[in-house]
Amino acid sequence: MPEGRVTVLLFGPAREAAGRTSVVWEVPAGGLRAEEVVAGLRARYPRLGPTLDSSRYVRNGRYLSTLTTRLRPGDEFAVHPPYGGG
Amino acid sequence: MTVRLTDRPLSVADAMRALEGRGLGGVAVFAGRVRPDPGPGGPVSALHYDAHRAPALRRLRAIERTARRRFDARRVVLWHRVGRLRVGEISVIAGAACPHRASAFAAARYLIEELKATVPIWKTERRRGSGRRA
Repeated sequence: MPEGRVTVLLFGPAREAAGRTSVVWEVPAGGLRAEEVVAGLRARYPRLGPTLDSSRYVRNGRYLSTLTTRLRPGDEFAVHPPYGGG
Repeated sequence: MTVRLTDRPLSVADAMRALEGRGLGGVAVFAGRVRPDPGPGGPVSALHYDAHRAPALRRLRAIERTARRRFDARRVVLWHRVGRLRVGEISVIAGAACPHRASAFAAARYLIEELKATVPIWKTERRRGSGRRA
């Protein structure tokens, strides 16, 4: 499988901290662990750090129970800070 | 529609119509409005709500199903606005129609509390100064 891209979606405080709604993340053919992408986000957007610590993570619409899950080319990976509806 | 994420204004009158039904003697409706909270950046002038739409709708439907089962809610509305809302506008409506008032109150309370805690929706404050705060 060729290398490809994961689309990272940012919401609420994560969106404000990074100054963007999404990020395209290059991944190798075998993918990357979610924790590696989170570490990369932390390095690229230092203001995101505190938000990343308190967020849940969603791959293709499903919550991740562990960040060792691999993200593969074509996946959508969402950062969910604590919810604030109502 | 029972659950809704919309960028259009929400109406309590519409919710009351959606909650009509024969024998439903208890109707409880909660509506949340944007408050002009004070803060160092000036008072809130507007809120911007965004949602992760597909998971949010899935979760809203799950909350609705539980309210029907647990509280015998025969009609449910669980509506949330997204986009930019000015102070005073309605951001959310959670309502239930049941045969009796106790279950209607309990169902409406359940709907709004579950929505706030578990549905992927976020708000960002826009203040009269230049400040923003999520």
